[in-house]
Amino acid sequence: MSQGFWLWLTLAAIGSTTILTRGSFIIPGERARLPAPLQRALRYAPAAALAALVAPDVLLADGGFEPFNPKLAAAIVVILACTRFRNPWLPFIGGMAVLLLLRKGLGL
Amino acid sequence: MFDDSFKRGAAEGFRAFLPLSVGLIPWAVVTGVAMRSIGLSPLEAMGMNLLVYAGTAQLGTLPLIAVGAPLWLLVLTALVLNLRFVIFSAALAPAFADASRPRRVFSSYLLVDGVFAVLSERLLRADDARWRWGCFLAPSLWCWLLWQIFTAVGVFGAGILPRDWSLEFMATIALMVMLVPMCATRPMLVAALVGGLATVFARGLPLKLGMIVGILAGIAAGFAAERWQGNSGRPA
Repeated sequence: MSQGFWLWLTLAAIGSTTILTRGSFIIPGERARLPAPLQRALRYAPAAALAALVAPDVLLADGGFEPFNPKLAAAIVVILACTRFRNPWLPFIGGMAVLLLLRKGLGL
Repeated sequence: MFDDSFKRGAAEGFRAFLPLSVGLIPWAVVTGVAMRSIGLSPLEAMGMNLLVYAGTAQLGTLPLIAVGAPLWLLVLTALVLNLRFVIFSAALAPAFADASRPRRVFSSYLLVDGVFAVLSERLLRADDARWRWGCFLAPSLWCWLLWQIFTAVGVFGAGILPRDWSLEFMATIALMVMLVPMCATRPMLVAALVGGLATVFARGLPLKLGMIVGILAGIAAGFAAERWQGNSGRPA
């Protein structure tokens, strides 16, 4: 991990994407429009990006594909908690409970 | 500035956003804990929180910061995770057309998913600029405050939490909590499945490029799935 000045520069650079994207059409203030096909394609970017972050964490163990691991079991519980119930805390409680039970309780 | 119509707008915006904003609390705490768990100091963590102020981009870039990924990859990842805001910004721009430039810049910094989701229609429909400003500003500032407070709870509470409890997995859960409701339509589900699996199978590529390949594959697959099933993939 970078330290000191470089870390702050990194954080500022990441922060610049916040204002760049959120302000992209609000700040110019003109009636600028994205080409429609691009706009439609971009709707899939957040879902694809989130899945790209989640999948390696729950499907890989020690760098190899491992479908039977505690994190994937926990992830399935999280998905069920999100789709069946409205409680915002439940996915966190359920997912962590399963992960800890399998890791600490069963030593997986 | 704080005249009657501003206040009425503020009250309506705040009331509409309040229930949703409570859902932010677990998120903010988790983001705070996650920032500390990769080794950021409390000052650095709160600095990131102020500078970035985007939960997804923060949680998403943390694993990359932790492994010392190159700056361009960090920025590209944050950009991709924030891309949805380009769409929100384009949709909401007419509501800010008559606002001053500093106000438009400040509003851009404050714009979050929840406020857009709940209030964009009302903001675009209202003719009164002062009402609109109140209706945007009150819930947005509330969201900012709530986010900063509960991230601080996570940041300063992280030290008390035990190390061997796999708490870093909370960040992954938070990402899933955002992802799952997005997958309500079939093309979106296809985009997520392809994006995730392609990233896993392209993991051998250098510089974590597998993730970029995976995201592009996911976007292409989602777009193709939408074309293939006609327009029925639009949310109702």
